[in-house]
Amino acid sequence: MSEKELGKKWDRCLADGAIKFGTGLGLGIVFSVLFFKRHTWPISLCSGAGLGMAFSNCQNDLRSSYLLHRSQKEQ
Amino acid sequence: MNTSVSRSTIRSPRRADRTETQRHVSKKRLATKVTIAGGALYIAYDSGLLGSSEQGSEALNRAKAAIPPAVEEWMKYFGLETPLPTMPKVEFSPVQAWNSGVRRSISSLSEAPTKATQYTNQGLQYLKDLTK
Repeated sequence: MSEKELGKKWDRCLADGAIKFGTGLGLGIVFSVLFFKRHTWPISLCSGAGLGMAFSNCQNDLRSSYLLHRSQKEQ
Repeated sequence: MNTSVSRSTIRSPRRADRTETQRHVSKKRLATKVTIAGGALYIAYDSGLLGSSEQGSEALNRAKAAIPPAVEEWMKYFGLETPLPTMPKVEFSPVQAWNSGVRRSISSLSEAPTKATQYTNQGLQYLKDLTK
């Protein structure tokens, strides 16, 4: 993996993290207002879940260059 | 006679006490809430916000491209014709600045011992010349 590629992967990770955190925050606010009487915990839960999803995506993305993909294996 | 009503005596009506209409209204309310929450979840999923990192960065680029025209439209709608102060275009890249800063500091650290000896020798030479 070249340095440029690594840099692009990190940029994607940060952008994805921001997006998923924002989405989690938004959905958490919606659920909190509609079902949970405006408590804070659904907001924290959903934002945390969003950050966790971003972390998992980032981890897979960074590890993908070291894994043997099925298409390469079949060749 | 105790006329004060304590908090414990105020209870929400039990299910059996609620009328048919009240139950119908609460079911409608629940259905509306579930529809709104489900719709929000579906929109988030459909626009790729909960997908892979490529989809997420694509969504961010789309949002960045869509925001200035949307802001302009809202400004026109509210009658605020004065344009927002635009960010001055600075020829400054934080990434380049950071990289050059790191390179400069590491190179100066590597040259530090040589330069320190040089300056010490110069200083000693100067003092020797003074005492002559």
